[in-house]
Amino acid sequence: MSDLAIDIRNVVKRYAEHLAVRDLSLAVPRGAVYGLLGPNGAGKTTTIRMILNIIIPDSGTISLLGQPHMSAGITDRIGYLPEERGLYKKMQVRRVLKFLAELKGVDGSVAEKRIDEWLERFDLKTADKDWGLSKIDELSRGMQQKVQFIGTLLHDPDLIILDEPFSGLDPINAQALKDTVVELKARGKTVIFSTHLMDNAERLCDSVCIIAHGEKVLDGAVSDVKTEHGTRVVALSVAGDSRSAISHILSDRSLVARADDQNRYYEIELAPGADAQVLLRRVVETGALIQRFELVQPSLHQIFLAKVGATGVEEGMSGQG
Amino acid sequence: MAKVDMRKLGVVFRREYLERVRSKWFLIGTLLGPVFFGTITIAPTWISMSQGPSKDLTNIRILDASGTGLGARVQRSIAKSFPKGVPPRVTVVAPEALIKADSAAVVEVVDKTINGFIVLDSNTIAGKYARYVGRNANSLSDVQSLMTNVRQQVLAQRLEKEGLNPDRVTALTGEKLETKTEKIGNKGRETGSGVGNLAFGYIVAFLLYFMIVLYGQQILRGVMDEKTTRVAEVVVSSVSTDTLLAGKVLGVGLVAITQVLSWVVLTIGMLIYIAPILFGNMTPVAGAAIASSRGLPSDTVLNALPTLGTAVMILAYFVVGFIFYASLFAAVGAMISSQEDVQQAAMPVMLMLVFSVIFMAPILTKPDSPLARVMTLLPFSAPILMPLRMSLVSVPWYELAISLGGVMLACVAAIWVSARIYRVGLLMYGKRPSFSELARWVRYAG
Repeated sequence: MSDLAIDIRNVVKRYAEHLAVRDLSLAVPRGAVYGLLGPNGAGKTTTIRMILNIIIPDSGTISLLGQPHMSAGITDRIGYLPEERGLYKKMQVRRVLKFLAELKGVDGSVAEKRIDEWLERFDLKTADKDWGLSKIDELSRGMQQKVQFIGTLLHDPDLIILDEPFSGLDPINAQALKDTVVELKARGKTVIFSTHLMDNAERLCDSVCIIAHGEKVLDGAVSDVKTEHGTRVVALSVAGDSRSAISHILSDRSLVARADDQNRYYEIELAPGADAQVLLRRVVETGALIQRFELVQPSLHQIFLAKVGATGVEEGMSGQG
Repeated sequence: MAKVDMRKLGVVFRREYLERVRSKWFLIGTLLGPVFFGTITIAPTWISMSQGPSKDLTNIRILDASGTGLGARVQRSIAKSFPKGVPPRVTVVAPEALIKADSAAVVEVVDKTINGFIVLDSNTIAGKYARYVGRNANSLSDVQSLMTNVRQQVLAQRLEKEGLNPDRVTALTGEKLETKTEKIGNKGRETGSGVGNLAFGYIVAFLLYFMIVLYGQQILRGVMDEKTTRVAEVVVSSVSTDTLLAGKVLGVGLVAITQVLSWVVLTIGMLIYIAPILFGNMTPVAGAAIASSRGLPSDTVLNALPTLGTAVMILAYFVVGFIFYASLFAAVGAMISSQEDVQQAAMPVMLMLVFSVIFMAPILTKPDSPLARVMTLLPFSAPILMPLRMSLVSVPWYELAISLGGVMLACVAAIWVSARIYRVGLLMYGKRPSFSELARWVRYAG
């Protein structure tokens, strides 16, 4: 049995107008929380749809849980939360959930029992109100998201694929989602999610893959990726009235490649060959009141920007998944 | 990708069926259907019973230029046929004065003093023609009953001329002969009166059309809803689009069959229990229904029912016809992303259906004409028109085989194309695809 939950090799998908995914290879270890990162339009959703056999790659192979991804019954072991969410509006919540579970091969009576557990867990079934008996369109948006999430997990899948799971979630649901992801990992499940929000990925993922324009930019364990990109980043914070005094240092391109003003501090990427100590001395010389000077590991966000480029992100922000 | 998982097919099928049958619209439709059908069956009979004979037939003038007193005879005959109306007035004119009298009568018709006039002249005596001029000259049945009277009187007059006793002539020619038709099939005489078959065929063809349009559109909307609510993506990650499509078509198809069966049961119930209250036992249909409800043999009711073979064929045509149109409607539903596009995108499919229905009347009157043959062989019109033609005449087995086989082939083709459009279209949002884009979908969907 393969120890990879997902093994994608040299997958290509071309649409009429453009190449959505070009020669992508990915390996997701079992039991990992894996982040598929990239700007919108990078090919994340296309890749996920190919994993789920919704669309067929032009070439390349995909294996899931050690089997070819088209083998019978394999989709029953996968839970999928698409980016665009929606359920049958006029259908009763319980019936929708039962339908989704039965589509995954869960027995009706088993599904009923699990539906009760999940509804209670997400506060959709309390002593005074059972939302399970309501129709989907009678639920608030937040509650619909919970129902959709239950539908993804009801059949107790071994591999959970979440496409942009945090988009549109309110903070409470986002927290519930994070908790659930951690719990799923503890139970040995593999979770892969796509996002363009690096903070979430950094906190949750064991491993990541960054893709842009349909190509893999880098992948690996988060800690490895960070070490690889070295400590070329400095967090610098000075007292408010000293900020103008150091501005000429920050714009010195022989020393500072990029200074990202985070309001409370600057995230500074050193120029190639520049020394952090030189930077410190120059700042001290200005007489500025230094509150913080720290050599930090770059955030995934920094790495992402360095690799994909700021333009890639901005383009992606306005584009469609 | 012809992979259909039977267990998942069952899950999809059950959802499509139960969600529709549980809806309140299905209940309302099921209850109102028989009221509607009962009304269109009973109302015309009831209206014609409560009205006297057509008023248009009585207030007329007879211009008698025959010089034989034929006008007076026709007048008595018409007055006797329509005892409640104003008896026709006779004007005896000389043949050379006829043109003038004719124009005077036209003025009377224009003034609405009379409804019309019959011209009897030497041509009528010779048995060639009689002329009728009037406001109701387009009404076939009115003119026919007038001319029946004229014909009878011309015949009576001739017989009297040959020396027959006038009373004897009246007794001989006064028969009210009604037509009773029987249909002969390959195996000899078939049960079923011609008129009963006609009504049955018409109702069946109309129902087939109605159900295909109604439930075909339901499929279209169902697919579009799945697409616009984005639930489609979750569903197709669990089940192949082919299975989803098949489950949808079969589930909705069974809803249609359930609906028709409940209509049949409820309509029969209504005829048995409500019609007698309205009519006593006077109308043929209701009377027969009462007769059968009392366990008496009733020709009309039994004759109107199809033989088992016909029923099986009708069901077969419904099944293949529905699958054919339903898969096309599903493809249309998968093409569009918004309500506004429904009408336009569904147009090609609707045109095929409407085009079929247009030919119902010509086939009703000439069920064995070349037109009828062609239209019942074409795969898109056969499901509606062949059951109609079958109820009227006995169709040779090979024509049935070719027709049904053709629809089945068309069905396979429609499913093949639709499944591909469906597979691609279901996850495509945005503008409606052009025909060349559709062709590309069909080519590329694996």
